Amino acid sequence: MKSNTATRALLFTAASFAICVCAAHAADSRKEARIDIAPGGTVNIVNGGGSITLHSGAGHQLLVAYTAHSAKVEVDQSSSDNKQRVELLTHALPGEKPTADEAKVDYDVTVPAGISVNASTTSGSITADGISSEIGLSSETGQITVHNIAKSHVHVRSVTAPVSLQDVTMSRVDIQSAGGTVQLKNVNGQRVAVGTTSGNIDYQGDFSGGGDYILTTHSGAIDVTLPATASVDLSARSTTGTVENDFPLQQKPHTSFVPQQGRSFAGTSNSGSSSVELQSFSGKIRVKKQ
Amino acid sequence: MNCQQFQETLPYIIESGGGGEDESHLQECESCASLVRDLRYIAEQAKLLLPMHDPNPRVWHNIEQSLHREGLLPEGRMSRPGHTQKNSTSQTQAKSWTPVGGVMALTALIIFAVVLTNYKPANVQPATLSARNSATDSIQFSSDDQQLISRLSQQSPEAQRAYEASLRDVNAYIADAEQAAKSNPSDASAQALLQNAYEQKEMVYQMATARSLP
Repeated sequence: MKSNTATRALLFTAASFAICVCAAHAADSRKEARIDIAPGGTVNIVNGGGSITLHSGAGHQLLVAYTAHSAKVEVDQSSSDNKQRVELLTHALPGEKPTADEAKVDYDVTVPAGISVNASTTSGSITADGISSEIGLSSETGQITVHNIAKSHVHVRSVTAPVSLQDVTMSRVDIQSAGGTVQLKNVNGQRVAVGTTSGNIDYQGDFSGGGDYILTTHSGAIDVTLPATASVDLSARSTTGTVENDFPLQQKPHTSFVPQQGRSFAGTSNSGSSSVELQSFSGKIRVKKQ
Repeated sequence: MNCQQFQETLPYIIESGGGGEDESHLQECESCASLVRDLRYIAEQAKLLLPMHDPNPRVWHNIEQSLHREGLLPEGRMSRPGHTQKNSTSQTQAKSWTPVGGVMALTALIIFAVVLTNYKPANVQPATLSARNSATDSIQFSSDDQQLISRLSQQSPEAQRAYEASLRDVNAYIADAEQAAKSNPSDASAQALLQNAYEQKEMVYQMATARSLP
């Protein structure tokens, strides 16, 4: 008798589990699409709390895979007549008021070479790997990660989202973040500009490429770590904060400002081929030798 | 007359009441008027506390040195030249001092000196004064900011919090950068900070207005 009851309980549990799995599977519906796009075209992706992952790929089509977390949202896909522009827009279905979790759609997009990408989320993360053309990424609070990019233009905006770039070379980089931290590792190019309000900025690399590097913040800290081989013309100023330097710099005979002990310094190393400007209003600036 | 100029004549004003220009400044500047009221009160109370004799010349000398050190008095401008000159050469001590009266007088004078040496006018130049006032005002949310925050609160409480904090920080950034740029109009770096501050605010607005999902 006892054995019979136990068997029934086990079957009931298994059936319940199966129903839950089916329901979850139905809710998290994954779809895939191949979308034609003209060479040199642009894809715009507007998303909410879900993530966006961007890869580089061969061919001439966008490969888009997305997973909706509920049936209350859908993805609108549209293209311009000449296929120069493709839009992917996550939106709630008419009459539906999805919760933040229900509104999530996770994208995985494979982008052909030479196609520009603009991707935005509210709280979802964005990852771009190996894209070889212009990239515009923005997120309010979701982590933004960019790596393995060369000869590109990377434009990032965030409200409080942390931003991380690694191995982005020979590129133009423009990052604006109000409160998010910005980490750059081996990032170089003709112009690298980072501006934050309260977010900290961390740069590790050699500032190579003879470019202009401008790191600016209001109250965040700026930490720079560079090797002795770096060829820089570096200046650091904090209006009301402090500066520290343990990187060997040669004094410049002329500077655009009068260096003030503990508040600013300037100097060059090697041939000083890249211009590096570090500026904070009240944050601390530290320059360290790798 | 600005606060700095007024401050330089402050000892004479306490002693003699000041001239027309001083009175004019006092009517315009509540900060200086408040200081003068406090100092006059201390001076009046001090008179009541002691027999009518000056303290040891060393006290005046120390006060004078302190004021010079703080840069509050130019060389050769002590408020009581007659007394100072007379006392500095006098080797006699007043006989009618009582110990309690002396201590209280000394205390009152020290308070006077401390107030005077620690007094920092709101700012030296009127133009800078108005800049600071406007900067302080701008830290508050503008009506546009408030509208934006209100709209975001209907979409998502998390977004509202994130944008509200960012706007507050950005407004503080703009206020600081504006003040720095006005103080050093020829400083390219101060101008760059101001530009960055405005770019930050523009970005926050663009992102807030572009959002569509929770």
